[in-house]
Parts: sequence; structure tokens; C-alpha cells
Amino acid sequence: MSGCEVRVTGARYAYGAEEALRGIDLDLAAGEQVALIGPNGAGKTTLTRLLVALRRPSAGRVTVGDWEVAGKRPDEMARRVGYAFQHADHQLFARSIERDVAFGPRCLGRAAAPVGEVLDELGLRPVAGLHPYDVPAPVRKLVALASVLVMEPRVLVLDEPTAGLDRAQRERVVAALRRRAAEGVTVLTVSHDLGFVAEVADRVVVMREGRIAADRPARELLYDREALAALGLRPPATAEVGIALGLRGSPVRTSEVVQAMSGIRWKQMPE
Amino acid sequence: MTRLVTLEGATFTYPGADRPAIAGVSLELAAGDVLVVTGNAGAGASTLLLVATGFAPRVVGGTLTGTRRIDARRCGVVFARPWTQLTGLCPTVRDEIAFGPASQGLPAETVLGAAERAMALLRIAHLARREPTQLSGGELQRVVVAAVLAVEPEVLALDDPAAELDPEAADALYDVLPAIAAAGTAIIVATPDLERAARVATRALALAAGRVVAVGAPADVLSGTEVAAMARAAGCPPPYPLDVPALLRRVGQ
Repeated sequence: MSGCEVRVTGARYAYGAEEALRGIDLDLAAGEQVALIGPNGAGKTTLTRLLVALRRPSAGRVTVGDWEVAGKRPDEMARRVGYAFQHADHQLFARSIERDVAFGPRCLGRAAAPVGEVLDELGLRPVAGLHPYDVPAPVRKLVALASVLVMEPRVLVLDEPTAGLDRAQRERVVAALRRRAAEGVTVLTVSHDLGFVAEVADRVVVMREGRIAADRPARELLYDREALAALGLRPPATAEVGIALGLRGSPVRTSEVVQAMSGIRWKQMPE
Repeated sequence: MTRLVTLEGATFTYPGADRPAIAGVSLELAAGDVLVVTGNAGAGASTLLLVATGFAPRVVGGTLTGTRRIDARRCGVVFARPWTQLTGLCPTVRDEIAFGPASQGLPAETVLGAAERAMALLRIAHLARREPTQLSGGELQRVVVAAVLAVEPEVLALDDPAAELDPEAADALYDVLPAIAAAGTAIIVATPDLERAARVATRALALAAGRVVAVGAPADVLSGTEVAAMARAAGCPPPYPLDVPALLRRVGQ
């Protein structure tokens, strides 16, 4: 039985008079793959920052494993929780992409860190010698993700990891997260991209106005058109197809939907 | 309609680069157009926006060859990273959005009117008194779009303008583009979001390694939607259905 890896209890946070978190309770089990969704300004990013001590809650408590986050600095938290910022430029600074990815493990004295493997995994090997600011913004986003993955943290917190990425880059991120899931890493991903959520998450937590508005299995929520509409959302393309074709088993991943569609007899279009 | 931008064989190379970011691109943009530019990362879509609006090479340096004619008085660009576009001088969102028209020396009521209209279009009136630096990524992106709209550009370039937006806000942003174009603006949008782009585009252009690989009607160019990809993978013969209704029409009994 896997225990609780991340626990947030009664967390509140305000930016001046603006209350961003109004009492959050959230548990993530070890190895769980969770997506955090919700409208802009709902408090998603603020909540993730509590997990790595980049923000301190005004009330409530956050624990990661047996660590009280209140007693830790962000650099201590980085040993256990890998955090990829929404804006990659906030975390890149080295003279080359390879040095940027290797920086974290070097600081921790981890000579055996899988720098090369992670560069290959995200397709960054051909640009490894370039300066991070000499590559397009989506590639920088992958560099930021690589610099987090290379630390091999127990918990990954990713803020909008696929925003701006093209399809091939997005597929690399999906594959990287599935690999971490298989290794038992706990992943919390903030995303507006429900297609991506469908590929990587087992559970979806919805935030709205600083509170948790829903917390359901991904397969259930992504097929619930009414619940999604109430949140201003539509099912992802995979679930739209699944609903329209009446596919069995609520497939949400592209591969599952394609598999379920494989028996279809297609009408030829007239020339 | 009034032709606002013409490129003929435009080739642009960034300073210090060993190959051009876009090569031999020809393009016409007229008032009323919503041109969607798509391509993989690094294909040159963002660069094309900068060239079409005159920002490259004037602001970023580099060399441009071929012919470019810009007949617009004002071009506005919304960059892919919205926080780089804040003035850093304005204590509130309303001030930030009014900054552009105010810096043109327009009367105060004109400035405030333009700011209010832009905020209403982007549905951000509720943010008017907020401090720009304390907004979320998605809120900030809408503020920046509104700030560029407030100067009423004749050519509006948007670089992946919904990347940070929640789906409802992204739909809302794309939904206002046809009305902005109809009012006499030429819009050019770079985005990987083919589904939303297909809804609003009047034309589409696909780039690969800086060169135009397809240009024409959105349905022809934006054929890589997720529904199309799934249909292709499941053995559907071409032409691939772009959306669910088209998919259902292709399913036999």
C-alpha cells in the first residue's frame, strides 16, 4: 500500500488583499499521476509553489513525505520535489543547454546523474551545446523540464509543461512522464491542455477561485460533458470521439481510442 | 480590401545565424484577413510575424532580402512571452492598457475609451484595478493582448496568444478575432492550436524549416487536427476528417 507523498491541509495564501488560496486540502498518494486544472487565476500555480517552499502559506500545513515544508528552504526541497516553472526562462541561466541540465546534479554532487539520457529523452542532444536563449521558446521549455527530470526527484511538479509545444515535443513529454509514472514518481501537473491531461493523468483536481471545485478520476471527469461545461471546459478530442462513437471503456488516451476505433468500416469519400 | 502587407521572396536571417529563419516567403495580408501560420517549433512562424510587421530586422537586427511593403500605419505584435511586454511603469491593468494610446498623445477620453473597449473585448474588466505583476500567466496574456488592441493596429500579429489561457479564455480570445478583422484589421496568428485556428482562419499557411510548405484554405492546410490524426491511425482513408461531425459522417453502418 503506497502512502501519502504530499499532504496539504487547510492552506491559505493571499497576494496583498487578493486571496489566492482559500483553504486547500489535498493528498497525493505515492506514485499518483494527478492533473491540476482550472481557470486562469484559480490559484493553481500558487498552490504548486507551496510544495517547494517558494511561497509560504499564511495558514495551514504542507508536508512532502516526512518533511514539513515550513521548516525547509527551496534548495532543500529541490532534493525531493522537482519543480518546472510555467515560464522556462525563469529557471535557465547557464552558457549551454547541457550545462544548464547538469547544473542541479553538479550542485548536489551527483556525478552519476543521467544528463545524457534525459537530453536524449527530450530530443535535446542536437542542441545540447547551444546557449538556451539561442533556441526557440518551446525548446527552452523542454530544457527546463530536462533540468528537473535529471535530478530524479520523488515528486514532480510541472506548471504548464506543454504550453506552446508542437505535437512531437508534446509526445516526448508524455513519454517522459509515463516513464516516471512507471518508476513510481508522484506527478502533479498543472495544465489547460485536457488532451495532454488525458494522456498522463489518472486523477484530475479542479481549482476555482482558490478552492478545490472537483477531484475525480480522469476517465470519469473527461467523459462528463455536463460537469466539464459547468467548469467552462469541453472534453478532450479523444473523449469527444469516444462519446460520439459510443466507444466502450471510456478510452481517454489517443492509443486507446485508436485501438477502440480499429474495427470501424470507413466510408470512402467520392472523388 | 486594402492590402496592408506584401512579402515577395522574403528571406530573413538573425544576427550571427548561419541559415535563414524564413526563406523565400511570399505573402499578402489585407484588412479582414485572419491568416493562421503553423509549423513545428523552429519552423519560422514567430519570425514571419516579426518580418510581416516590420519588427525584423528593425528591432531584432539581422538581414532581410526580397521585397517587403507595409502599408499599415500601426502594427501591433503580441509576443509569445507576455511578461516581457509589460511596461513596468503602470500600477494597474487599466493604466497598462491605456499606456499605448496615451503615449500617442491622444485626449484622455479617447485613451480611456480605447482601454475600456479593449478590456471588454478580452473580458478582463474585472482585472482593471489589479497590479499587472501580480496576475496569473493567463490573465497577463489577456492584458497584453488588450494593450496591443488599445492602440488599434491595422496589422495585428499574435504569437501563440492562447498558450497560457484556460480553454474558456482561449475560446473567447479566438472568438473575437473575426470581429476585429472585420473592423478593418489584418490579423496574423502563429499557433500550434489547429482546432481553434481552423475555427477563425480565413487562410492558413504552413511552414517547415523556414519555407512555405502549404498555403490556402484552412481546411486544406490545417489537416493535422487530433481527430484527423486518430482517424488516420485507425485506418480511415484520406481525406481525413478534421472534427467529430466529419468523423461521424465517415463511419459506415
